[in-house]
Amino acid sequence: MIDIAVLLLVLAGFGFLLMAMPRHQQDWLKRKLSQAHAHSLRLSGLVMLAAAYGVSGRGLGWAYGTVAWFGWLTVAAAIVVTVNTNCGAIMENFRFRPSRKRDTSHHLGRKSC
Amino acid sequence: MKANFRQSMAGLHTWAGLLPGWLLFAIFLFGTTAFFQHEISRWMRPELRSYAVSPVALDAAGQYLQARAPNAGSWTLSLPSDRGGDALLVSWQSREGSGGQGGEADLDPATGRPLLLRDTRGGWFLYRLHFDLHYMPVMCARYIVCIAALTMLVALLTGVVTHKKIFADFFLVRFRKGQRSWLDAHNVTGVLALPFHLMMTYTGLVTLLFTVMPWAITANYDDDDAYYAAAFPSGPEREASGKLAPVRPISVLVARARSEWGGGEPGYLRILNPGDTAGVAEMWPKMGALGTSSPSLYLGAADGVRLPSGAQAGVARQTQHVMVQLHTGAFARLTLRWLYFFAGAGGAVMIASGLVLWTVKRRARLPDPDRPHFGFRLVERLNIGVVAGAPAGIAAYFLANRLLPVGMEQRADWEINCLFIAWGAVFVWSSARPAKRAWTEVLAACAGLYALVPAVSAASTARGLFPSLHAGDWVFVCFDLSMLAMGGAFAFASWKVVVREPAKSARRKARGRAESAA
Repeated sequence: MIDIAVLLLVLAGFGFLLMAMPRHQQDWLKRKLSQAHAHSLRLSGLVMLAAAYGVSGRGLGWAYGTVAWFGWLTVAAAIVVTVNTNCGAIMENFRFRPSRKRDTSHHLGRKSC
Repeated sequence: MKANFRQSMAGLHTWAGLLPGWLLFAIFLFGTTAFFQHEISRWMRPELRSYAVSPVALDAAGQYLQARAPNAGSWTLSLPSDRGGDALLVSWQSREGSGGQGGEADLDPATGRPLLLRDTRGGWFLYRLHFDLHYMPVMCARYIVCIAALTMLVALLTGVVTHKKIFADFFLVRFRKGQRSWLDAHNVTGVLALPFHLMMTYTGLVTLLFTVMPWAITANYDDDDAYYAAAFPSGPEREASGKLAPVRPISVLVARARSEWGGGEPGYLRILNPGDTAGVAEMWPKMGALGTSSPSLYLGAADGVRLPSGAQAGVARQTQHVMVQLHTGAFARLTLRWLYFFAGAGGAVMIASGLVLWTVKRRARLPDPDRPHFGFRLVERLNIGVVAGAPAGIAAYFLANRLLPVGMEQRADWEINCLFIAWGAVFVWSSARPAKRAWTEVLAACAGLYALVPAVSAASTARGLFPSLHAGDWVFVCFDLSMLAMGGAFAFASWKVVVREPAKSARRKARGRAESAA
């Protein structure tokens, strides 16, 4: 259970860090976010990684939890890299369904406001 | 100055990575299998069906030793890990000057009855191979491994400087871009598991600390023995009294150790002068939870009274112990052990992609790509022979375990020879073929060997994939499925080599020329 919580937290953390980078904003959102938004995304990402460390340490013991946290960092980063590498294919799938596309653009627009 | 610094680091990274690269790949590969050495041993000893040591078996072991070797100088019991894989191994050594013979026997961990197991070194061999190598003296191998590990540390640190964009391009992999893709694969596997790689390389050096750094001992102690006597104090010295007294039941001694260590399990027992009133039972703990270590325990073998033991380990020794624990990962439960495994596999991929990158980078710059110079061909052949050959060797080792006749002389040694014969065969085969064909063929051969392992196991033992599934024996099921997954991965790699477009860079150049002309 603790392991799953740690994984989800570091996944979200790396996801935010990814979206804080202008190059990847261009890929995923087709536009660039403002400096302030990027900054707050980066900050949230780092806070999540730190929170995951807290959860891991409290849940598994600080010695064991530290080792496990590093392990999950690697796994989560690998997942985010894989997803990001297939960005083109994933976006393509969205484009096939017009209704979905409207949803996503709406959703993304709201998120970035 | 800055550019010069980076360039010199890049040069260092290239050569510190390349020269020991093949050995490092093998070390990472075999070391990664060692995270599952007990599970591998379980699979390689299909006759062994019970794993946890019972008190009944411990007492039966004591009675067995009493019956077989009542006058021995010492008895030893090696208790299997709680993950199984080994029998309860008992042995006895004759009293000095008595001229008697020592011996050993495998006992069933549940019942204590003698077992007939096939002769194999199991997963333990793969573990030892990653720092003791093979076919050479152990100390010589450890020097080589230490130097390789030191170079690895240099390569890791210079790598961070060289691939300066790894943090800016943290999430970036560009596939189907030739050299760029290899570089990205190298960076990603290197960076994502960088904490693991640094930790493993450093703690690996710490486990072999005094091999390359003996001066701390020579500066402070008269000789090595004086150091070991101080750092690992031996137990109380008691002369045999000559009066007879039976050894306490082993299960009682073990239970005593458990309570003394607060639940820690003994891994190894030695009883000196068994059957004598002055007999001593020495017990060493297994590796426990991370950051804990228990001192060895000494009890009177006949009366169970605790005897004074030497000094406690100092802070430096405890620190070293934690580092060794981190390196071996023995404290890790199943989930974390898989994380160790994947990070280790990432390390092997990082080294392999770095080695391939060396050739990819230079192929474009060769004066005549059809007839590369000797150094290039050497690196190319070594890459194929090691990156595909070592995994092929492991598959052959598993196959030999099932195929060699059970009663064969020196069977365990021949299993190991099979590993190296298969590895050597890959070298010979790949050196006789054009590079791309060689990659395709040996990767396909690897896939075939790994796919064969579950099939041969099912045909030669009663513990194939389906019976194991039926019996709910998850270690055997996971082992067979892992073999199939490995086979699939190698088949995929082989297919990727076939469909790869080799003229990519040339075409890009042509396109660039066309654009500039327009």
